[in-house]
Amino acid sequence: MRTPLRPLARILHARQQGENPDTIERENLRLRHEAMRDKSRARAEFRLLVLGLAFFAAFTTIGARMGLLAATEPVEPRASAPGAEIIAQRADIVDRNGRILATNITTHALYANPKVMVDPKGVAQKLAEIFPDMKAKDLERRFTDGRSFLWVRKVLSPEQMQRVHEIGDPGLLFGPREMRLYPNGTLAAHVLGGTSFGAEGVHSAEVIGTAGIEKALDARLRDPAQGDKPLTLSLDLSVQATIEEVLYAGMTMLNAKGAAAILMDVRTGEIVALTSLPTFDPNDRPNPLVDKNAEPGDSPLFNRAVQGVYELGSTFKIFAVAQALELGLVAPETLVDANAPMQWGKHRIKEFEGKNYGPLLSVTDVIAKSSNVGTAHIALMIGPLRQQAFLKSLGFFEATPVELIEAPGARPLIPRKWPEIVTITTSYGHGMSASPLHLAAAYAAIGNGGVMVKPTLLKREGPTTGVRVMSEKTAHEAVIMLRRVVTEGTASLGEVPGYEVAGKTGTADKPMRTGGYYKDKVVNTFASVFPASNPQYVLIVTLDEPIDTSGSEPRRTAGWTAVPVAAEIIRRVAPIMGLRPKLEPVATDAVTAASN
Amino acid sequence: MSFLEYRVKQVPTGLRKILYINWPLVVLVTAVASVGFLMLYSIAGGNLDTWARPQMERFGVGLVLMFIVAMVPIWFWRNMAGLAYIVSFLLLVVVEFFGDVGMGAQRWIDLGFIRLQPSEMMKFTLVMMLAAYYDWLDNKKTSRPLFVAIPVVMIVAPTILVLMQPNLGTSLMLLMAGGAVMFVAGVSLWYFGAVAAIGIGGVAGVFLSRGTPWQFLHDYQYKRIDTFLDPTADPLGAGYNIIQAKIALGSGGWSGKGFMQGTQSRLNFLPEKHTDFIFTTLAEEFGFIGAFSLLVLYGLIIAFCLVAAFQNKDRFSALLIIGVAANFFFYLAVNLSMVMGMAPVVGVPLPLLSYGGSAMLVLLVGFGLVQSAHVHRPR
Repeated sequence: MRTPLRPLARILHARQQGENPDTIERENLRLRHEAMRDKSRARAEFRLLVLGLAFFAAFTTIGARMGLLAATEPVEPRASAPGAEIIAQRADIVDRNGRILATNITTHALYANPKVMVDPKGVAQKLAEIFPDMKAKDLERRFTDGRSFLWVRKVLSPEQMQRVHEIGDPGLLFGPREMRLYPNGTLAAHVLGGTSFGAEGVHSAEVIGTAGIEKALDARLRDPAQGDKPLTLSLDLSVQATIEEVLYAGMTMLNAKGAAAILMDVRTGEIVALTSLPTFDPNDRPNPLVDKNAEPGDSPLFNRAVQGVYELGSTFKIFAVAQALELGLVAPETLVDANAPMQWGKHRIKEFEGKNYGPLLSVTDVIAKSSNVGTAHIALMIGPLRQQAFLKSLGFFEATPVELIEAPGARPLIPRKWPEIVTITTSYGHGMSASPLHLAAAYAAIGNGGVMVKPTLLKREGPTTGVRVMSEKTAHEAVIMLRRVVTEGTASLGEVPGYEVAGKTGTADKPMRTGGYYKDKVVNTFASVFPASNPQYVLIVTLDEPIDTSGSEPRRTAGWTAVPVAAEIIRRVAPIMGLRPKLEPVATDAVTAASN
Repeated sequence: MSFLEYRVKQVPTGLRKILYINWPLVVLVTAVASVGFLMLYSIAGGNLDTWARPQMERFGVGLVLMFIVAMVPIWFWRNMAGLAYIVSFLLLVVVEFFGDVGMGAQRWIDLGFIRLQPSEMMKFTLVMMLAAYYDWLDNKKTSRPLFVAIPVVMIVAPTILVLMQPNLGTSLMLLMAGGAVMFVAGVSLWYFGAVAAIGIGGVAGVFLSRGTPWQFLHDYQYKRIDTFLDPTADPLGAGYNIIQAKIALGSGGWSGKGFMQGTQSRLNFLPEKHTDFIFTTLAEEFGFIGAFSLLVLYGLIIAFCLVAAFQNKDRFSALLIIGVAANFFFYLAVNLSMVMGMAPVVGVPLPLLSYGGSAMLVLLVGFGLVQSAHVHRPR
C-alpha cells in the first residue's frame, strides 16, 4: 500500500495547527526515497554477495588446480615432451613360412631448435664429427639463419643418438618415429622395393612404399585395421637366398652384366623366388639414375625379371609346336620340312651357325635341336591370326598382373603388323619382346596341363582355376619334348639326376638403342619345368651378356650359360622345396654339343 | 544516492585523510609486489639490475601515484569519469592508427618516459564511466532496454578497438569487468542470460568461421586455442609455454626447490618467464605453499575491496571499487588459469608480479581510486 505524499487528514490537521503542510510532503517523499533505496540497496548487496561467491569459487578452483599440479610427480622436461607412444602402423611382410622380410623398428629423428641452442658453432662441429657426410659449415649456417626448427637427421642409430645426446645442447631434440627394416638386407630386394618417409612430424613419421610390393600394396600395408596382420608373400626365404647365391656365382663366372631368375609354382602361380642382379639394399635404397643416356637396366633398381622386356629367342618355339599339336596340324612324330636356309620373299631363314638339320625333321627334333626352319614351317601352318590369338591367351600381349608397382609399366613389345614373316620370326622368339615373368607364366601353363595361372607374390591356398589354353594331352606332349631338349638336345647341361628337368634354351641378340642388333651381345634364357613326369615348378633363368670362357673359344649360347646355372639352382632348391628325387637309370655322362 | 546528499563535513580533510586510508589493502598490495621483486631477482640469476630494480622503481612511482589519487576527493573523480573515458577512447583510436607496432600488435603510444598502453587505461576509465553512469541513472530505469544499451555500447566500443590491435586478453577483461559492474548495478538477470546465449553462439561462430576468408580471429589466436586443447600437439611451438609451465609447477612440489633453485625458468626452458609466466618460477621455487600463499594474498586484496564496496553507501564509489576489484580478479584468474593450463594462452600479465610498467602503474592508480572512495566515503 503506497502512502500518499499529501494525506488529506494530516494536511488538514497540520493546517489547523498552523504548520506548513509542505513539510509533511517532504517528510513522506524522503521516506519513500529511503524505502526505494533500501530495496535497491538490498538487491545490490545480494548481487555483491553473488559476485563475491563467484570470485571465491574461482579462487578455490585455481587453488585446487595448484594442489593438483603440485601433487603430480615431477617429470623431466624431455621425457614428458613426446606424445603418445608410437604403435606399429605398417604391417610386416613375411615369407610363406612366416619369416620376416620387412618389419618396423622404433628409432629417432634428430631435429634442432636453433632459437634455444647455446652454441650453434660448437654443435655444428660436433655433429659433423658424428655424421661424416655432413658439413660443419652448412650446419652452422642453417643453425644461425633465424629459423626455429629444422630436421638434422631422419633416422639415428642408438650409438649416434647417444653421441648426439652427449653434446648436451638444449637445441638438439629427438623425435621418435618408426622406420622400415629389412633384416635380410639385399635378399628379395626387387620384390620388396623400399619405403621412404612421407609426412614427417615430431612424434612420428609416415612410412610410405616407394617401389616393389611396398608401393603396390601400400594401402593394404598402411591399413590400420590390418596393421597387426602381416602380409604373407609366396616367397620362400631359403629358396630365394639359394637362388640369389647361385645366380650371383653364375653371373660372375660367366661375366654377365646382369641376371634374373624366377621360380614359380605351376599350379597356383605363386612366385617362390624372384631375383634380379645386380641388386641393392632396400634399407638404404640408392637414388635412381639421373643420366638420360644410361640404360635403365644399368641401375641396380631395375627389376630384370619383371621390367626386363627382351626378345626371348628359341624359348618361344614350344608355343608354336604346342599350338600345332593342339590344332591337330602335327603330331610329335610328324616330319616337317627343315631344309635350311629357307627363303621367304626377300628374307632368308637360317639355322644357328649355318647348320642344316634337314631335309626332314620330326616335330620333337625341331624342339630338341632348336630348328628355326622347322618351327617356321609349323608356324606357317598355323597362320598369323591363330598365332596371335594363342600368344594372347598365354598373356604375351598384356603386362603381367603381379603385385609389383613396376609390373604394369613393363608391357611386352608386340609387332605392329603381323604379316607371315612376323609369324615366322615370332615363332622362334624374334621381333617380339616380353619379360621373363611372362615366359614363366606361359611355361607354367604347359607344366600344369594347359591352364593359365595368374602369377602372384601373395601366398595362395590351393590351386586356382584359370582359363584352359591347351588340352592336357598337348601340354603333356610338349613337356615330353622339352624333356628331350635336356636329355638329348641343346640343354644337356641342364640334367639334374632325379629331378627330370625339361626346358628350352633361348639366345637372343641384344638390340641396339640405335636400331639393329649387336653381333656379340646376347641375352640367354633357359625356361624349364620340373620334374617332367609331374611338373611342379617352372624356373626361368636369364643372363644378360654372358660369355663362357671355359672352352677354347668364347661361347654365348644359353646351353653353355643359362642352362648350367639353372641346373645348379634346381639341384639345390628342389630338396629344400621337398621334391623327392626320382631315381632314373644313370644317363650317359657324355656332354652333348650345345647349340641353339 | 549521490555524494551531493552526504554530509561532506564528516569526510576527513587535509593530512588526516592518510589515517583513513585502507591500510591493510596497501600492505597487501605491497606484499604481493615484493613477491614479484623476489621472483624477478631470482629469474635474473641473482641480478638486481636486470628486472628487479626497474620494477621496484616503478612500484615506488605507482605507490606515490596511488596516494595522490587517494587524496583527491572521490567526487572529483566522479566528475572526471566521462572525460577520462573519452580521452582513453580517443587514445585507443589513435593507437589503432598511429601507434608503435610491437610484437605484431599496435598497443603503445610512446610518450618518451613511458610507453602508454591506452588499453590498460581503458580498463579503469571504463569502470569509472560505468559507475558514474549508474550513479546518475535513476534506479527504476536500470533494466530498461535503452538504458541497458548505453553501457553496453560503452563497453563494446573500446573492446572492439582493443580486439583489433589485436589484444584478446585485454578485450576479454574489458568485457568481464564491465559485465561485473553492470551485474552489481542491478541490471536484470535476463540480459545476462541473453548475453550468455549470444556468447555461446559467438564461440560457435568463431570456430565455424575458421579457415574462411572472414574468420574472426587471427591464425595465431586459433592456434592458441588448438594448443590449449592439446598442448602436446606442438611441444616446440605454441604448446611449449604450457608444457614447460606445467613441468615447473609439478617439479616445485609442495615446498618448492628453494629460492633461486628453479631450473625450468633459470635455464631458459620457459619463455616469457619474467612477464606472463612469472608464476611458474614462484611455483617451482616455493612450491604449492608459496603459490597458495600468493593466491591467499590475492584473495585478501579482493576481499578487502569487496568489503570496502559493501561498506560504502555511495553508489559511484561502491561500483567503482567493484569494477577495480573485478579487473584485478580477472587479471589474475586469466593469468593463473592460462599458466596452469585451464585456459588458452591469451597474454595477460599476473597483476603486480609480472615485469612491466604500464600494467603496474594503472593497477596502482586503480587502487588509488579505491582508496579515494574509501577515504571519502559517506559516514
